[in-house]
Amino acid sequence: MERVALVREAVKRLLDSGQVEGVLALRTVGPGSAPHLFHPGDSLDDLTLWPKYPLPKILDMLLAADPSVRLGMVARGCEERGLIEMAKRNQVDMNRIRLVYLACTAEERDECCCSWPYPSQIDVGDKVEGTADALVAEHERLSLAERTEFWKRQFARCIKCYGCRTVCPQCFCETCVLEDNLWVEAGVLAPPFPSYHLIRAYHTIGKCVGCMECENACPADIPLTVLYTLLRRDAEEMFGYVPGRSLEDLPPLAVETLWQTGH
Amino acid sequence: MTNSIPEFDETDCFLITGSNTTEAHPLVATHVLRAQRRGAKVIVVDPRRTQIARLADLYLRQRPGTDVAWLNGLMHVIIQEGMYDAEFVESRTEGFEELKAAVAEYTPERVEAITGIPAADLVTAARIYAQAGRAAILYTMGITQHTTGVDNVLSCANLAMLTGHIGRPGTGVNPLRGQNNVQGACDMGALPNVYPGYQPVTSEAVQAKFQEAWGYAPPLRAGLTVTEMTDAAYHGAVKALYIMAENPMVSDPDLNHVRAALERCDFLVVQDIFPTETAEFADVVLPGVSFAEKEGTFTNTERRIQRVRQAIPPLGDARPDWQIICGLAQRMVGMQPTREGRFAGWEYCSPAEIMAEAAALTPSYGGVTYERLEQGSLQWPVPTPDHPGTPYLHKDRFTRGLGRFTAVAYKEPAELPDEEYPFLLTTGRMMFHYHTGSMTRRSEKLEREVPEGYVEISPEDAGRLGLGKSARVRVISRRGTIETRAWITRRVPPGTVFIPFHFAEAAANLLTNPALDPIAKIPEYKVAAVRLERVA
Repeated sequence: MERVALVREAVKRLLDSGQVEGVLALRTVGPGSAPHLFHPGDSLDDLTLWPKYPLPKILDMLLAADPSVRLGMVARGCEERGLIEMAKRNQVDMNRIRLVYLACTAEERDECCCSWPYPSQIDVGDKVEGTADALVAEHERLSLAERTEFWKRQFARCIKCYGCRTVCPQCFCETCVLEDNLWVEAGVLAPPFPSYHLIRAYHTIGKCVGCMECENACPADIPLTVLYTLLRRDAEEMFGYVPGRSLEDLPPLAVETLWQTGH
Repeated sequence: MTNSIPEFDETDCFLITGSNTTEAHPLVATHVLRAQRRGAKVIVVDPRRTQIARLADLYLRQRPGTDVAWLNGLMHVIIQEGMYDAEFVESRTEGFEELKAAVAEYTPERVEAITGIPAADLVTAARIYAQAGRAAILYTMGITQHTTGVDNVLSCANLAMLTGHIGRPGTGVNPLRGQNNVQGACDMGALPNVYPGYQPVTSEAVQAKFQEAWGYAPPLRAGLTVTEMTDAAYHGAVKALYIMAENPMVSDPDLNHVRAALERCDFLVVQDIFPTETAEFADVVLPGVSFAEKEGTFTNTERRIQRVRQAIPPLGDARPDWQIICGLAQRMVGMQPTREGRFAGWEYCSPAEIMAEAAALTPSYGGVTYERLEQGSLQWPVPTPDHPGTPYLHKDRFTRGLGRFTAVAYKEPAELPDEEYPFLLTTGRMMFHYHTGSMTRRSEKLEREVPEGYVEISPEDAGRLGLGKSARVRVISRRGTIETRAWITRRVPPGTVFIPFHFAEAAANLLTNPALDPIAKIPEYKVAAVRLERVA
């Protein structure tokens, strides 16, 4: 049976089980896809898996809209890891969520240059190993001066649409420092280098799971995941922390902050 | 646009002029910059060093209002160096000898004297554009909003025909249209001289066709353009105005004159989604609906007809525009003798039925139906139900057959700086606000980004006037005065200042010159003379 049919079956089983009031997944809309909440009894014929679209943030919105509702979601590896980091920061309650775990195909992995294309358990699909991002390796061969030049050139295209922030499941602050004139002068295009982009980069440390949605959303084609992948690796080397690996690991910046303030 | 946005992926050279592309058409800019990364050359010609100018491979800064001169200069170099497409010129065009004679005097040195563009840069630009496999011209209001707007557009067309950069994918002359559906509004005949599909009102055959369909057709002469209407209202020749989704009290030139014109109207109707500065003068306000509250189609800049679907019911007393217009029309028709005609009744159940009428009467929309649009968008011309649509125009022939070169001579703008008004004012747009701000200035996020207007002024000029960062400044023209904030920046050259027109409380259009292009009647928003005073 093809993969999407297996997902539809798994979603149907979850809906029929009565454990959840609905399941969030993608639905075919025109040539693309869009998030859709499937309810028990709904036809699942137009449920689809691709093109990928970030579901964790949508799930968060749905859960917040009705504090009593329990929902399911079709989750790829990056989406499961995204939910785990959100849960650590009290953005979602994992007890109200049931996941249908989906492993990505080799083609999907290559599309995202993904190093970790499978969830912690697999309901549908076969595990394929991750791949390294060639752009990251290329970037590491550059000198520091060349790197600065590279990012200057990339960020010069930015039109400050805030798409990278808005689409990011880990960007949930009620007030965003990127909108603070003290740090980022408002109304300027491209936004001041490097404050806008590097502030955002710092804020992804210990949170970014590499779902690549920021880069997919970017109308200026800025290779943001190169930057975030390097930061993620630094966090792993320095603190042994891997975002999204488990619910129990505490995020290093939170732990360090608590230690420093004596709590 | 003669061509389509996705075709830019095949373009080798972009000549972008009078377009602040990353701010005003960011998704078009995405395609341009993607092409640049795979090796395409980007030439930007603009008085302001905008983001796209900074990203360009070659940036030429012309004195505002000198576009015919540098365009003629490019053609001069291309002909001199034998880089024109002789075969295309021979087989597809006429009037080449006249063009050649007209551009002969526009040597790079003379062009430099007129425009300020270094002669060597002009030659480089000419070579890159002419020798590219596929070159596309992109322009917006920086080309059109001049008293020589038509001349500027003709010059762009001359250049594309001379080099054969038209009628193939990834080339063409591409005016980027500013609003999601301004192309559609023009297609449907919201112009004083044409019926839907650009069928001329001066043609008896066309008149007869609409007489038969509607049981009525307007006389065989063009009506008034929007800029002429204001003047006619001022002089009493127009007694009543019905203004839909337009805010001339911010967007038209010389707002003091507009105000007087609106005050003199016996009757003013304004139909819009928010109360606007114009609605303050209205006798009747009719609430229309936003994109989210209606069914219909939008036709975008690349002639692409797409469905828009209703997401929420109309709010408050608002109604879809077509229902308001039909309701009014039925009452008016009811006061007159019965009319015979297939579409005389103004009775429709849905926008789909209106599209059926449009398709029946508009050859370029002939094959458009809602059934087809449900399967995907269509690019006109779509003459028949089995026609797939047209990604690019002028493939084997131009609309009139041969493409006609029009020899054009450079003319100065209507008003230039002098001793009393020593600065050249040019106006335009920015990323964070849209048009008159009737929508964007109600957005908290966008207001936070840019809450007030400003005047861009060079560090040299700011120094001379003693203006510090964000200093308050008065800007004065022969028509009005505004007070605003100085933004000291190298985006503008010394002698030129720029004001975005989105801000009613410091409206750039109190200052602008209402001088019109003699043919298109578009005002010269891009050049006026002003003086600046520091506010103590």
